[in-house]
Amino acid sequence: MQAEGPIKTFSLQTDKFLDNQLRERLSKKPFSKSSIAIRTCGLLLIFLTIYAFISFDYKDVNFIDALLLTLDNLGKMFFEPHLKHFSFSHALFQVLVTLGLAFLTTIFGAIIALLLGLLAAENISSKPLSVVIKGTVALIRAVPTVLWVLIFAVAAGLGSVAAVIGMTFHSISYLVKAYSESFEELDKGAIEALQASGANWWQIVFQAVIPSSITYMVSWTFLRFEINFAVAVAMGAAAGAGGIGFDMFMASGFYFDLREIGAITYFILIVAICLEIFATRIKKKLKVLS
Amino acid sequence: MTTLLEVKNVSKQFGKDTKALSNVTFSVKEGEFVSVIGPSGAGKSTLLRCINRMVDASSGEIIFDDAYVHQLNKKELKKVRTKIGMIFQHYNLVNRLSVIENTLHGRLGYKSTLAGALGLYSEDEKLQAARILQILGLEEQIYKRSDQLSGGQKQRVGIARALIQDPKLLLCDEPIASLDPNSSKIIMDHLRNICTSMGITVVVNLHQVDVALKYSDRIIGVNSGKVVFDGTAKSITSNDIHQIYGSDEGKLIFDLGGSHVS
Repeated sequence: MQAEGPIKTFSLQTDKFLDNQLRERLSKKPFSKSSIAIRTCGLLLIFLTIYAFISFDYKDVNFIDALLLTLDNLGKMFFEPHLKHFSFSHALFQVLVTLGLAFLTTIFGAIIALLLGLLAAENISSKPLSVVIKGTVALIRAVPTVLWVLIFAVAAGLGSVAAVIGMTFHSISYLVKAYSESFEELDKGAIEALQASGANWWQIVFQAVIPSSITYMVSWTFLRFEINFAVAVAMGAAAGAGGIGFDMFMASGFYFDLREIGAITYFILIVAICLEIFATRIKKKLKVLS
Repeated sequence: MTTLLEVKNVSKQFGKDTKALSNVTFSVKEGEFVSVIGPSGAGKSTLLRCINRMVDASSGEIIFDDAYVHQLNKKELKKVRTKIGMIFQHYNLVNRLSVIENTLHGRLGYKSTLAGALGLYSEDEKLQAARILQILGLEEQIYKRSDQLSGGQKQRVGIARALIQDPKLLLCDEPIASLDPNSSKIIMDHLRNICTSMGITVVVNLHQVDVALKYSDRIIGVNSGKVVFDGTAKSITSNDIHQIYGSDEGKLIFDLGGSHVS
């Protein structure tokens, strides 16, 4: 370390010689590896973008016409929505079916993930068990939910059963990670205190671990519920799991009815917004409590 | 008085070459108030945790209340632990639960797994918890959440949790290290009172030499994992204290019998 001289007094007067010295020091900003890498990447991306747009094969599509037609389609979808092939009450019921699918898979996932999460948390389980569970769960999570549904469709047939199993599967892996990480954030002292008084594992889990991390668990579970709702819509179309997603698939792929797609989109949007508002409220309440 | 706790030749090794304790031997009689003092990192906490096997000693014997603690299996160990209360520097309460819930945690060792996990306590246990909390001056806070308490109050909840275990021995790991002088005095007064009027043996780790001298019957001085002093609080000299802390003459701030030692 450099030896520090005596403490300098602060004065507001400027000293030209000193200022020049400082300016010189400011101009010597060190070049680091990361800044070079970031700049090279940026330049490369700009170049690739320009090159891609130039080299596109546009066929006979006129850009302006295409843009106008797209806007026209969007206008039809969102400004003239109607329901033609099914009634309002039917649509509402189908939204409920989709919500039900999301709810069921989240609950199943949460219950199983609670147990696995406890075993995967290093501070209340053993290290090897934790590593094994976390590793397996990371592998499962790396494959998208839709793929898991299609994989289970081999055994269960394309439909709601495959969707429930596949979505539960992915929910478990997601929630195990979330739960075990919130358990691991727990203060070690509380566990130690209960161990020292002769309490056993289950008692410590239910009396110290879960009460301490319940807010995190609720907010993670709700986040997963929102994700599962979106996935459930897609599953209706992709895996024939029923619900509003299937109606949307029929409206687009079978009837080519843009206006009906618009109406269904509105339905899903409203439900999603309601969920969002509900989730924010719950989180606020939990924050007040914690 | 009978001997309640015997520690014989206890050593503890962390890793390959960190020796936390080496050949520690001492015994504690029933109803005694013993302070363990020594510099930071001398092994005081490890020593305390070896007694109830929160840390397993590498070698040596620990005999508590005629039980060979080092030989017990899991189930027997849990039973012995119910008879040893422990108090911590950072209180170690479950912050989201109320004062009485935290106090009742001390009963978990006596309960069946299911009743304990669900928090089903008997009327007697609740009444006993309330009684203890009242003695400790927390009757107004019974249903308050523990994170709304001050440090001194939290430590009193810690004491209540240990007392409801109906223990024979209290292990206190630096109970006043994070408290202001006033709360410290209240806590130490309570501990002394518990020892004198309830006959519970207290072993306490302390950093404050003057507090140790004032409250304890006996002092055990520990330095680098070895017992370097073991005697009554009255018989200790400033020379002994300097030896415990391994410091040169005149470099410590503490009071010995009213006169400033320099």
